[in-house]
Amino acid sequence: MTGRIAISVMFLTVMRLTVLHLTTAAAFCNNASVLGATDETAQVSEEFEQRIRPLLTTYCLRCHNADNMKSGIRIDQLDGRLEDRHLFLWKDILKQIDGLAMPPEDEKQPSAEERQQMVEWIQRGMNLAKSRDTKRNGSVRRLTVSQYRNTLKDLLGLRENLADVLPPDGVSREGFTNNAQTMVLSPLQMEYYFDIAEKSLDLCIVDELSKPVIQNFRVDLGTAVNDAPCPDQLILGADSLLLNNDEFTVTELQPVRPFDYTPFLMRKSYDFIEGYAGNDTVRGWRHFDSIYHSVFACMRGTRGYPLGQPYCLVPGGLLLRPAIPSTEVFGQSSTYGPMANFKVSLRELPDHGDFRVTVVASKYQDGLLLNSGAPMQTLPDSAPSNSSTVVADMSAGPDSTVHIEQGGVYQVDVCYQCDSRQDMLSLTANDRQFSRQIDNPEFGEVVETEKQTGGSVRCSAFMLLRLTTGPLKLSVSHAATTRIRKIILTLLPVDSDAARTFEVFERRTPLLGVHLGLRRDCGSTLTPVEDPVPVHSVERSRFVFEGAINDFPTPDVEWDNVNYLAGFREIGIRSEYTDGRALPRLQIHSVEFEGPLYSSWPPETHRRIFIDSSVREHPQAYAKEVLQKFAQRAWRRPVSDSELNLIYRVWENSWMETGNFQQSIKEALLVVLTSPQFLFLTENSSTPEPDMLDSWELASKLSYFLWNTAPDDRLRDLADQNRLHESLSSETDRLIRDPKCRNFVQEFASQWLSLDKFDVVEVDQARYPELTRDTRKQLRQEPVEFLHHLIQHNLPLRNLVQSDFIVANDVVADYYNLAGRSESGLQFVALSHEQPHLGGVLSQAGILAGLSDGRESNPIKRGAWLARKIIADPPDDPPPNVPQLMDDPGKLLTLREKLELHRNQEGCVKCHSGIDPWGVPFETFDAGGLLKKQPVEAHSTLPDGTQVHDLTELKALLATEMLDQVAFSFLKHLASYATGRSLTYNETEFIRENGRQLRTNNYRLQDMIHFVVSSDLFLKK
Amino acid sequence: MYPRTKIHRRTVLRGIAGATLCLPALEIMGEEVRGISPRRFCAIYTANGMSLPNPEHGIDEWRWFPVTQGPDFEFGKSTEPLSPWRSSLSFMGGLYHPNGTKADPHVCSDMWLTGAPLHNPKPGTYNSVSLDQVIAQHTKQHCRQPSLVLSIDAGVGFLSRTGTISYNAEGKPIPAENSPRRVFERLFQSSQASLSAQRDLLKKRVRLVDAVLENSRLLNNQLGQSDRERMDQYLTSLNEIESRLIASERWIDIPIRQQDRSHLQLDASPEGEPSQYYRSMFDLIALAFDADLTRSVAFMLNREDGMGISDTFPLKIGLSRTHHNLSHAGDKEGQLEFAKYDLFLSQQIAGFLSRLTTYQDADGSVLDNSIVLFGSGASTTHNPNNLPTLIAGGGKLGLKHGTYWHRDNTPMSNMYLSVLHALGIPASAFADSTGPLKDSIFAV
Repeated sequence: MTGRIAISVMFLTVMRLTVLHLTTAAAFCNNASVLGATDETAQVSEEFEQRIRPLLTTYCLRCHNADNMKSGIRIDQLDGRLEDRHLFLWKDILKQIDGLAMPPEDEKQPSAEERQQMVEWIQRGMNLAKSRDTKRNGSVRRLTVSQYRNTLKDLLGLRENLADVLPPDGVSREGFTNNAQTMVLSPLQMEYYFDIAEKSLDLCIVDELSKPVIQNFRVDLGTAVNDAPCPDQLILGADSLLLNNDEFTVTELQPVRPFDYTPFLMRKSYDFIEGYAGNDTVRGWRHFDSIYHSVFACMRGTRGYPLGQPYCLVPGGLLLRPAIPSTEVFGQSSTYGPMANFKVSLRELPDHGDFRVTVVASKYQDGLLLNSGAPMQTLPDSAPSNSSTVVADMSAGPDSTVHIEQGGVYQVDVCYQCDSRQDMLSLTANDRQFSRQIDNPEFGEVVETEKQTGGSVRCSAFMLLRLTTGPLKLSVSHAATTRIRKIILTLLPVDSDAARTFEVFERRTPLLGVHLGLRRDCGSTLTPVEDPVPVHSVERSRFVFEGAINDFPTPDVEWDNVNYLAGFREIGIRSEYTDGRALPRLQIHSVEFEGPLYSSWPPETHRRIFIDSSVREHPQAYAKEVLQKFAQRAWRRPVSDSELNLIYRVWENSWMETGNFQQSIKEALLVVLTSPQFLFLTENSSTPEPDMLDSWELASKLSYFLWNTAPDDRLRDLADQNRLHESLSSETDRLIRDPKCRNFVQEFASQWLSLDKFDVVEVDQARYPELTRDTRKQLRQEPVEFLHHLIQHNLPLRNLVQSDFIVANDVVADYYNLAGRSESGLQFVALSHEQPHLGGVLSQAGILAGLSDGRESNPIKRGAWLARKIIADPPDDPPPNVPQLMDDPGKLLTLREKLELHRNQEGCVKCHSGIDPWGVPFETFDAGGLLKKQPVEAHSTLPDGTQVHDLTELKALLATEMLDQVAFSFLKHLASYATGRSLTYNETEFIRENGRQLRTNNYRLQDMIHFVVSSDLFLKK
Repeated sequence: MYPRTKIHRRTVLRGIAGATLCLPALEIMGEEVRGISPRRFCAIYTANGMSLPNPEHGIDEWRWFPVTQGPDFEFGKSTEPLSPWRSSLSFMGGLYHPNGTKADPHVCSDMWLTGAPLHNPKPGTYNSVSLDQVIAQHTKQHCRQPSLVLSIDAGVGFLSRTGTISYNAEGKPIPAENSPRRVFERLFQSSQASLSAQRDLLKKRVRLVDAVLENSRLLNNQLGQSDRERMDQYLTSLNEIESRLIASERWIDIPIRQQDRSHLQLDASPEGEPSQYYRSMFDLIALAFDADLTRSVAFMLNREDGMGISDTFPLKIGLSRTHHNLSHAGDKEGQLEFAKYDLFLSQQIAGFLSRLTTYQDADGSVLDNSIVLFGSGASTTHNPNNLPTLIAGGGKLGLKHGTYWHRDNTPMSNMYLSVLHALGIPASAFADSTGPLKDSIFAV
C-alpha cells in the first residue's frame, strides 16, 4: 500500500513538472512569434473589412443588429481585431456557420464557398488571438460575506458572528459569489461595515482595570438527588412537564480562575403579577423567593413516543431516548417534538461573550425494546427453568430474584394480565430500568382465560438484554389494574439473528446535542450549539459545547417585567434523533453553564490587540507598535510608512483630545477594519503585461481559495521571506489537508452544484413525507461531504459522476434505503452501495430534488444543470416570457410529448435540443430524488447522436468517453472560483488543451487543484 | 391652525452604537417644496378576535363583519361609531396568514404584522420583520423617529404571548412603550444633553469616515493600473455616507413645529380608565403624524390569551367577564357582551379617525395621507381564518373606500404588499406574499 502511494506521488511530481514545462514552452513560443504576429494581425484585420464584413452584413445583420438582437446576439460591433471580449461570440458564430445552423433555412443562404471563407477567416483569427498574451491589469475584489466573516473572526479571535446583517453577495454566471465582476458595494453595505467594526472592537477590548462578572451553575439530575427540594408546586405554563422538585438540584459555583472576578448570582427574589397556574392567569402580586423559581428542569413536548418511555429518572441521572425533532414526522405542526427534549429553563444568562455548556453524560447499558408483535422466545407452557431459560414467578409480588448461570444476550418475555386498555410496564433488572407501553388490546397472544375475573393473561416479547452470570433481581411496577405473572428470560444463541441485532444495537452510540433558545408556550426556538457528539462510554464523561451567546435568540425582557413566564432562556440537552433506529439511551448526569467565558483577564481578544511589548510604558511608541502589528495582520501584507502614519495620526488626535489610550487605539483600528486594504483583495499591477503575483498577494489568493479566509502565520512568514512561490506545491498540500479546507469545499460545492436550489424548493409533504426538515439538512450536506471525500482522498474525478460508494450518515443512508449498511450516526462516511442507480453527484437526492418543483421531476432543469455544471456546455439563457410546461386541458400528454410540443415551438428548439436530451435520462428519479416506483421511459438520444437507455448509462458515458469534458468543466469552475473572476476565452482554451494531461493519472482531484494553482491564470495578475 | 415653520424635515440619530445610522438623503429635504405630503402608516391590533355570534342566538346585527358584502354594506351595531367615515374606510374579509393556520393559535399576535412561519421557524431566529418596520426603513430618513412602537403593556412580553407587534429586520421584538408621558417626552422633548451626545457621535463618525477616505485615496494612488472601478464604488459609497452624516449634524437643532397639545392627558395610564388611556395614546399618534415626527406606528391595544391588564378592561367598562373569557364565550349573553366590547373599541378608533381628519396636510387631511390598519389575528378566538380587518384613510394614496371587500383565503401578506405599494415603497414581496391584492380597494 505504501509503495503504491509513493509511486503515485512521484508520478504526480513528474507530471506537475511537465505541466510547468509546457507552460514555459508556450510562453516562449508566444514571445518568439510576437514580431511575425504584428504583420499577420494587420492582414487578418484588413481581410475582415474587405471580405468578411460584407458577408456578415448580407446574411446575418438583418436579425442580429443593435435594434433586433435576436437571441441576444448583435454582430455590428464585431471587427477584425477579434478583441478578447468578443472571442466567445466568435466561437459561437463559427459553430453556427460551420454547422450550417445559421442562417435559418427560410433566410437567404450563403454559397458553400462564402461559408468556407467565413469559417477559414474566423479559425485563422481565433488562432492568432489564442497565441497573443492577454492583457492584465491586476484586480480588486471585495471579500464575500463569508470571507469577511471568517477573516474578522480569525483576525480578532472572536467567535460571535456579526456579519449576517450584510446583504448577500451577487451570483456570477458560473454560480459563484466571489466573482469580482458581479460584486457591488452600496452605501448601506459600507454603513454595515462601520457598524460591525465598531461592535466587534467593543466586544474585543475591555477595561483592563475592571473585573469580569462570571455566571456559573450546575444542574444535577437523578432520582431523589435533591434532599431539600423546593416546597412550592412549580408550574411553567400549561403542560409544562417539569421534573419533580426532588429530581434535580441547582448549584451556583465559583470557578477557579487565575484572575479576580465577580461571581454572578442569579436573582431569586421576584414579584410577579401574571403567570400561569394551569391555564388561568394569576392576577395580583405574588412574591417568589427560591432559585427554583428561576431555574427549571423541563421536559415539555407532545405525547406519543413510538416505543417505550421517552425519558426516565434513575439514581444519578436522566435517561433520554432520541428527541424526535420535528413534528413533521408525526404530521403535527407545533414546534416541540415528542417529549424527550430535556431543557433547563431559566431567567438569566449573560448578555455578551462566549459561553460553555458542560454535560456529564454516559451511554446507558440498555436493553432493546421489541416492537409489538415480535415473536416470543419461549412459550410459557414449555418454560422449564434450565441453564438457558430462566422463569421468574412474579405472581407473589413485584420483586423476584433469579440466578443467571450463563451470561449472554437474553430475550425477556412477560406474561401479564392487563384489565385496562393501556398501561406502562416498568421493569427493573439489577438497577437497570426499562419500560414500554401496554396500550394495544391486541398486544401479545392470549394463552388462557381466567373465568373468575373475565380478564385474560397475555404473553409478549418485551426486550433483548445482556445479562451477566449471577443473581438478578427483577422488579416490576405498573398500574393497579395490571398483574404480572411471569417473566421469562431465554438465552439467545450467539449466532442467532436476534443476538446479532442486539450486538449491533449495543455498539451504537447515542448522540449528545446541546441547544440554546427561548421558551414559548407553543414550544421552543432551539438552535444547536456546535455539532452533536457521540457518547461512546458507559462511564461518565464530560462533554463541552461552546458558543457566542448573541448568536442565539435573546428575549429582550424588560427590566420591570411583571410576568412569571416572560423572558425564559432554555438550554436544551438531547439525545439526537437520526433516522429512527433504536439507540441505547443517553444518561445525563449534570449540566453546567459558564459565561462569559474567560481563560485570562484581560481576555485573549484584548491581548491580541494590546500585545506584550517592551515599550508598553511609552504611549506613542506602543501605539505605533500596536497599530502596525494589527494593520499588517488585518491587511495581510506589510504596511507602508504613509499608511501607518495615517492610522497613527487618527490615534494621536484622539489621544490628545481624550487621553484615553484604549479608546484612541479603537478609533484607529476602526479605520483599519473599514479600509479597502481590509475589505478588498487587491492584486496590484503596474503594467498591462501579466506580472507574477507578489508573495503576499499569492498568500492571500491561495488562502482565500482553499480556506476561504486570510493566510495563517506560516503563509505570512513564507510571504515575508519571499519563499512562497518556491513552496507553492507543498503549501497547497498543507492547505488541502487542513480542517479549514472544509470552508472551501462547502462554498465551492454549494455554489458550483447550485445546492441553494434545494434550500428553497417547497417540497410537497404529502408526496414526500420522508423529506422532513432535518432529513433535508443532511441531504443538502451530502454533495459537499462527497466532494470533500474525493478531494481528501485524492480520488479520480470519474467518481464525481459514477462511484461505487456514497458518502452518507445514518440519515442519508436511510433515505436511500441503505440504513443496514450504515452505523455512523450523523457522521458522513463512505459506504459501498452495490446499486447501479446510486453513486456520484448526478443521483444525489439534494441535487435532484433541488432541480424539481417539489412535486414533479423536471428534465429541463436537470438537463440544463448537467449541461452547465457537469459538461460545461451551457445553453443560452431562456428568452423572456417563456411559459411553463402547461397541461393541455383537452389531452393528457406524457412528459415526453409535452417536451416535444415545447421544443417544436419556434425560438425554443435551438436551445432545448442541447438541454432536454441530458435531462430525460434523469426521468427515472422522482422529485424527491429517489427511483420512481413505476418504470419510466428515460431513453435519450444525446446531441451528438449517442443513445443512452437511462441515467446509469449516461453516468457510464460521462465517466469514460466524456470524462475529458467533465474534467474540463470541473477545472473551468475550479479556476473561476480560485481566481474570483470569469475566465477569458484564451484561459478557457488553455484549460481545455492542457487539462487533458491530467488524464494519465485519472484526473485525481488534488492534481486538478495543483493544476489551477500552478497555472498562469492563477499566478499572474 | 398654528403657523408652520418652513423647514421641519430632519432626522435625529438614535442608537448609533447599536443600530445602523438613520441617515437622511439630502434630496429628501425637497419633498415638501415639491408639495408631496408625508405618507404614513398606523397598525392597530386587538387580540382574541372579534364577536361573530352564533347565528342560533339571533343577534347577527352584532356581528363585527357587515352582513352584506360590497359597497352596499351596512355597519353592524358594534361598528356603528365608525359610520361617519364610511367613504374613508373599508372592511376587508377573507384574509388569513397561511402560516397562521399551521401554528399554535396563541402566536397569532406575534405574527399578525410579520406573517412569519412561527410553527417552523428558521433555526436561530425569533420572528421576521413586521410591516411597520419595513415601512420605517423607507420613511425614516424623512422624519425624526423611524417608528413608534406602542402597546398596552411596556416591553416585549414573550414569544407566543407577545407584548409588541413590531419586529426589526432581524426579527427581534421591539420593546413597546405604554406610558403617554414617556411617549410624549421622547417625541417632543429632546434634552440638550442628548442633542449634544448625538452631535458628538456624529462628529466621531465623520472623522472616521474622513480618515478612511484619506487612506483609500492613498491606496488608490498606489494602485496604478489596477481595476479602479471597484475602488471608485467604494469611494462613492464613502462620500455618500459622509455627506449624509454632515446633513444630519446640521439638522439636529431645527425645532419641532408648534401645535396645540393642550388636550393631551399625559397622566392617563393602563391602570386607569380604559377609554381615557386609549384616547391619550391615539392623540399622541395623531400629533406625531401631524408634525411629521414619525411615519410608522404600531399600537397593540390588548394582549392575547388573558395576558396583561387589558384582560380586565371589559370588567372596567361594566361587562361581566374578562376579555379572554368573553372571547371564549359560546352563550348568547357572553357573545353579546363580547360584541359590546367590540363597540367600545370602535368608539376608540372613531376618536382617532376624528383627530386625523382634523389635521391638515397641504393636499388634504392627515387621514387622507395615512393608511390606518385595524384588526386582529383571529376571527373569533383561536381561529386564524378570515381575520377581522379594517382599512381606513389613504384616499390621497389611491385607496378607493366605502366597501366590504371579501375574497376567501387571501394571504394577509398580499394586502401588506398592497399597503407598501400604496405608500410608494417599491417592494416585490412581503413575507409569504404571492402578489398584491387584485380588484381591491388598492389602486394596482
